[in-house]
Amino acid sequence: MSAWSPRLDVAIPERVSLVLPVAGIGFRSIAYLVDALLLFLFWVSAYFLFSLVLSDFVGAFLGLSGVGKTLAIIGAFATQWLYWTLCEVIGRGQTPGKRLLSIRVVSDDGSPVGVLQSSVRNLCRIVDFLPFFYAAGLLAMLLSRENRRLGDLLAGTLLIREERIELDKYERAPADGTSTPIPAAAEQLSPADVELILTFLSRVQELTVESRDRLTAALVKRYGRFLSDHEYRALLASRQSAEAFLRARAQPRA
Amino acid sequence: MESLGAFVARRKGDWEKLQQLLAQQRSGALELGQLKRLDSLYRRATGDLAYAQSFFPGTDAHRFLNQLCGSAYGSIYQPPRQHWAAVRQFYESGFPGVFRAEKRFVASSAMIFLLGLALGASVVLVQPGGAELLVPARMRQSIAERRMWTDDILSIAPANLVASAIATNNLTVTIFAFASGILAGAGTIFTLVNNGIQIGAIIALCAREHMAMPLLSFIGGHGPMELSVIVIAGGAGLMVGQAVIDPGDLPRRQYLKRRGTQAVKLVLGCAPFLAFTGVIEGFISPGNLFPGPVKIALGLLLAGAFWTYLSLTGRADEVESSASKSGRR
Repeated sequence: MSAWSPRLDVAIPERVSLVLPVAGIGFRSIAYLVDALLLFLFWVSAYFLFSLVLSDFVGAFLGLSGVGKTLAIIGAFATQWLYWTLCEVIGRGQTPGKRLLSIRVVSDDGSPVGVLQSSVRNLCRIVDFLPFFYAAGLLAMLLSRENRRLGDLLAGTLLIREERIELDKYERAPADGTSTPIPAAAEQLSPADVELILTFLSRVQELTVESRDRLTAALVKRYGRFLSDHEYRALLASRQSAEAFLRARAQPRA
Repeated sequence: MESLGAFVARRKGDWEKLQQLLAQQRSGALELGQLKRLDSLYRRATGDLAYAQSFFPGTDAHRFLNQLCGSAYGSIYQPPRQHWAAVRQFYESGFPGVFRAEKRFVASSAMIFLLGLALGASVVLVQPGGAELLVPARMRQSIAERRMWTDDILSIAPANLVASAIATNNLTVTIFAFASGILAGAGTIFTLVNNGIQIGAIIALCAREHMAMPLLSFIGGHGPMELSVIVIAGGAGLMVGQAVIDPGDLPRRQYLKRRGTQAVKLVLGCAPFLAFTGVIEGFISPGNLFPGPVKIALGLLLAGAFWTYLSLTGRADEVESSASKSGRR
């Protein structure tokens, strides 16, 4: 969790505080574009579908009864407005675009948004859109602490990121016993150090060979102060043994 | 103290079970026994979160638990589902109730609108040249030729297209009057004054050109209701503006949220009435199918019914409950 990214602290009745990561402007903009694209595609495909069924689409539309025509246009207009609120209420805070980007609208107490809150924030799009293409909304997001546009401020909502976090790295068994035994005198590592080593080991596959070797050497140096020069060089001779050493170092000792 | 790895290894099974139950809950297939299990697993996970917060802050295990408890919290503390009964209840007491509680904002909104109306009318009456600024050219031309511009529109486009264009325009004005309240009320006041001035100027111009009756017979059917809705949406906007400017004893963000969700009820409540007005505007107002006085009478009747509904519906319950609550206030 980077220190500068805004977060929402929520005190829940279970007497712990949840820290929810707030979604940034980039995530939100892309999610918006996805939704806008979906709406656009919806209308295009609706048009072609009707054209397939009815040979003369415009003619058929003009041939509708007056009330039918009015309802059709009002319906189309309402779709533009209702899309957001319906999706957010039914999708538990997620429109399709937000789902794709793994962000979610929540109330600022961490609970899911209701109909009223969702209506407020989506009706306010008309103001956030001012004077062109969400300029006001973007400005408000830049200025507010939790990246909220005007609609979010009025509705008391914000967008949080849902991260997918894997716990596999904690479970990787230590390599076989060929690695250097760790002397009992070596100091116990703090959880932050253990986390650093495990995170590094879970990502080594993604690193270039040079970075991998350089970081491995640095970590072995840092967490192997008890090693003699000779042992240190022997460990670094093979990447496998160095990483096995790190893994063993991250393991708790009885 | 337990090590990070041992902690994760010991508790991971429960967390995964909780994730699985949450997914199941989302798809709506949870039995009572599972629900109880979900509850106890959630409580234990929050305990784990507190533990991780103290001993392993900033680790992935901590973030994982945060995420897990966050989504479980969202699932467990859900707002009640809205059903059709809730919609009925909203129209029986919620909407009129908010209207009555916030009467002074609606009244201010009406005053501001009437101020604009008077301003527009007096400019045109005192200084006829002012009409060139305030009334669109095409409208001025047809008024000068003693025709209603609405007949003009109708001869080109079919009536219902006009109706839907007007209805969507009114919806936009209504939404904007509410939403722009977030600009400290300035947007709302501008919308109200602006619409007032335009309508006032048009009425005055028609009166001067002896076109008052055709105008009244055109706007009589839908105007009263439509303006009522815009004034009420303006009241909602003023509520928001007031909340921005003077949040009182509460933090501004908290007060905004509270007032915003109240104000929006006025707008949501008005929506179906506005749609209905659009239909009248499209089918009854234009043309000579109905005589002018009938349209005017219909318009006044509808608006009267609307305001009566807002003032009276659900009031008996309100009086009762406020009497029983008065001790707490």
